[in-house]
Amino acid sequence: MTSPTQHEHHGHHISTAGQLWAVGIALVFLTIVTVILGKFVAIPAPFDIITALSIAVIKASLVAAFFMNLYWDVKFNTILLITAIVFFLLMISVTLLDTLYRNDVIPTF
Amino acid sequence: MSNESTQTHQVEHHFVDAEHQFDTAKMGMWVFIVNEILFFGGLFCAYIIYRTWYPDLFQEAALQLDTLWGAVNTVVLIGSSLTVAMAIRSVQKNQIKGLKINLLITIALACIFMVIKAFEYFHKFELGIFPGSYYTYAGIEHAQAPIFFSIYYMLTGVHALHVLIGIGLIYWIYRRASKGEFSSEYYTPVEITGLYWHLVDLIWIFLFPLLYLIE
Amino acid sequence: MATAEVPKKRKLKVKRFKPVDNPKHTYLTDEKGLWAWMTTVDHKKIGLMFLGATAFFFLLGGILALLLRTELLTPAKTFVEADTYNQLFTLHGAIMVFFVIIPAIPSGLGNFILPMQLGAKDVAFPRLNLASFYIYVVGAIFTFIALASNGLDTGWTFYTPYSSTDSTSSVIWVTMGIFILGFSSILTGTNFITTIHKLRAPGITWGKLPLNLWAIYATSVIQVLATPILAITLLLLTMERFMGIGIFDPAMGGDPVLFQHFFWFYSHPAVYIMIVPGFGIISEVITTFSKKHIFGYWAVAFSSLAIAFIGFLVWGHHMFVSGQSPVATTVFSFLTFLVGIPTGIKVLNWVATLYKGSIDMKTPMIYVYSFLFLFSIGGFTGIMVGALSADVHLHDTYYVVAHFHYVMMGGTIIALLAGLHYWWPKMTGRMYNEFLGKIAAGFIFIGFNLTFLPQFIMGSMGMPRRYYNYIDQFTIFHQTSTIGSYIIGMGFLLIAYYLAKSLFRDGERAPANPWGSRGLEWQATSPPDLHNFDHIPVVINGPYYYHKPMEEFQLGLVDFHGAEVEESEKEVDMSDEKEWVNYNLD
Repeated sequence: MTSPTQHEHHGHHISTAGQLWAVGIALVFLTIVTVILGKFVAIPAPFDIITALSIAVIKASLVAAFFMNLYWDVKFNTILLITAIVFFLLMISVTLLDTLYRNDVIPTF
Repeated sequence: MSNESTQTHQVEHHFVDAEHQFDTAKMGMWVFIVNEILFFGGLFCAYIIYRTWYPDLFQEAALQLDTLWGAVNTVVLIGSSLTVAMAIRSVQKNQIKGLKINLLITIALACIFMVIKAFEYFHKFELGIFPGSYYTYAGIEHAQAPIFFSIYYMLTGVHALHVLIGIGLIYWIYRRASKGEFSSEYYTPVEITGLYWHLVDLIWIFLFPLLYLIE
Repeated sequence: MATAEVPKKRKLKVKRFKPVDNPKHTYLTDEKGLWAWMTTVDHKKIGLMFLGATAFFFLLGGILALLLRTELLTPAKTFVEADTYNQLFTLHGAIMVFFVIIPAIPSGLGNFILPMQLGAKDVAFPRLNLASFYIYVVGAIFTFIALASNGLDTGWTFYTPYSSTDSTSSVIWVTMGIFILGFSSILTGTNFITTIHKLRAPGITWGKLPLNLWAIYATSVIQVLATPILAITLLLLTMERFMGIGIFDPAMGGDPVLFQHFFWFYSHPAVYIMIVPGFGIISEVITTFSKKHIFGYWAVAFSSLAIAFIGFLVWGHHMFVSGQSPVATTVFSFLTFLVGIPTGIKVLNWVATLYKGSIDMKTPMIYVYSFLFLFSIGGFTGIMVGALSADVHLHDTYYVVAHFHYVMMGGTIIALLAGLHYWWPKMTGRMYNEFLGKIAAGFIFIGFNLTFLPQFIMGSMGMPRRYYNYIDQFTIFHQTSTIGSYIIGMGFLLIAYYLAKSLFRDGERAPANPWGSRGLEWQATSPPDLHNFDHIPVVINGPYYYHKPMEEFQLGLVDFHGAEVEESEKEVDMSDEKEWVNYNLD
């Protein structure tokens, strides 16, 4: 590590080129898997969406952890990311409480 | 900004040292990323609501989107995320040439993304698939077809805008790197821009299956 | 945080740094001239510029209010047409909400005080802070352009389909103006969250943070999470108007209620952006003028966070009669009752703070008492309209109008006035006329109740809001309300008068700590130095430890050239050691 200051726990983590390429290749691989599962394998709904989104979550986690370096970073930055996701999910779920349970979807004219 | 060599970038008066300044900048950027996630979140929310109301529309309309080119774009963006991570690695090891090359490759990949996107849009325009009240395509029977494409254009359009801004930012970082402003002692703007670019990639990772892989 | 562990203490070499009275070099003398102000990155000047801008918009919004109240003196037309009346109430609402109440306390007073309460020399990102201000200005310019062309008549809530399809007013100019303004709010929130985490002086653990900063922290969290939703909503509305997107247009298969969901997902947390900083100010003022520790520090601190969180889950209570599903309305009503609990905890804790305190009835404290009375009414009536069955009758009546004016004006503006008068000596180095201060507070209190109490009654009798005409049985209420509004106006003119006099006509010079507060900001000079403190402050006591002598609050690290003698070692709570590791403390 070439951390410029004396403070050990503030040293900047430097990934090796191999590590970064490995993550990149994993991401491309997962993309291919998603496309194959999406286009060429018949999965009954709702599992098709669940599968596609699960793979997307894995890809996103790889980017966040190893490209954006959250794995080696201060825990608080990860908490920030998770908080954003939690509030996003709250927004959707509570709105769906309305839109899914209406008597008429949209009043017709 | 300091005009001196890269070795002694000025630490602002309210920070104790360079490390303090770097960590603070990174935290600030993550707070901004929270904001961006919620911004796109609103659009995703609209998408989810309309998809639960009109699943058949989404199935039918999504056939107009080319999965292959969408997948290519996904790989292009992943590649650009990789190169920007490599750029940061270069500057951490004080390899300014490596930094500049990786930044240029990132910009090139981002431009490829935009070109593919442009082709996608033009193909749709030829069919009469325009956003909103300009929609004239008769190929889809569903009454709410314009809404699907409005959501498509808003999602991909706002994302494309972020890509364009990202290209501008990365180019600016490239220019500053050419002037010798960065080193392993000081590369905060590179780190921050890298985080922004990864966010753009993250958004697309979710956009791709939701728009292009509805079967 | 709230743990039962023994705090990790360490001995630090400290010196006493007593702030001098009548300092020669202050932030006002060291950077002079218009250009210095316009290009400043000093949080103090930026805070004052925000205060000035919000004061200007408060004047504008206030004039609009007086105009519309004058129109309502008689049941039919008094002096404007109905279309003009729609513009008056819309612009009054939009200007007050977006240009005054949301930015005034956080970006105004907050900017000035936050670094000082942390013992920091500035906020984390000073240039971003200045950018926040100029973004606000650009948003304001867009709105002025709208005012100069077709104005706005959609109501400040921009409901579709009127705003997207039918209105001929300058909707896009205003939506884009507010879109831009949103970034000012987001950047301020980003700045504050980072500053509170990273720029605390040694010894300020989370348990020693002033409650004002807990409140600002909660507010900043809301700003960062909620404002982007407003941005996307306004963008979608603009696209709908501009390109006919149709997401909110029933004629194209879209859903107008969806607009309301998106709009209120921001706008409800926005009202907590408005009031929570006010809560912070009340905590500061009430402890200072009771010379007593706050009752229930952690309860008040966590209640700010609880309000911020639950506040994100109640937005549907603005939509009870809009066509929402019964499931959603029930859930929202229940959660709305829940959000009243942390607020109630705060009010009860403040009152308990007064008990056995040594009360000093200066002007800020009078505003605190006003706040306790007015905000309680406002909050309580909020719970009443949050009751599903009652709201079916009260929605869109003057009852709601009275409720939100009690919380926004009786709450936020009163708290802002309390904070303004409390920190006036610190910001300007001068005192204001105490006698006139009390008179103005009286005018505002009386005028306010005269204006809005009758509105509760009218509303429950069925008088709808935003109506230009009304039936004769409401005349007496409207007229009383209008007279009250003029009295409020006079109160504010009086405030403007004596504050201007204090600033420009050589008001009495203020000492560093006129109120005897134990807050860290009072251990700097009045006005403060350009860099706030010329040493790194060290904090060994909480900000409300009135039982400790003043000397224990005026400490700083020994390394720096300082004021006084008496080097000694003090035990400092270092539980948050990792935040101060850069300070080279040894």
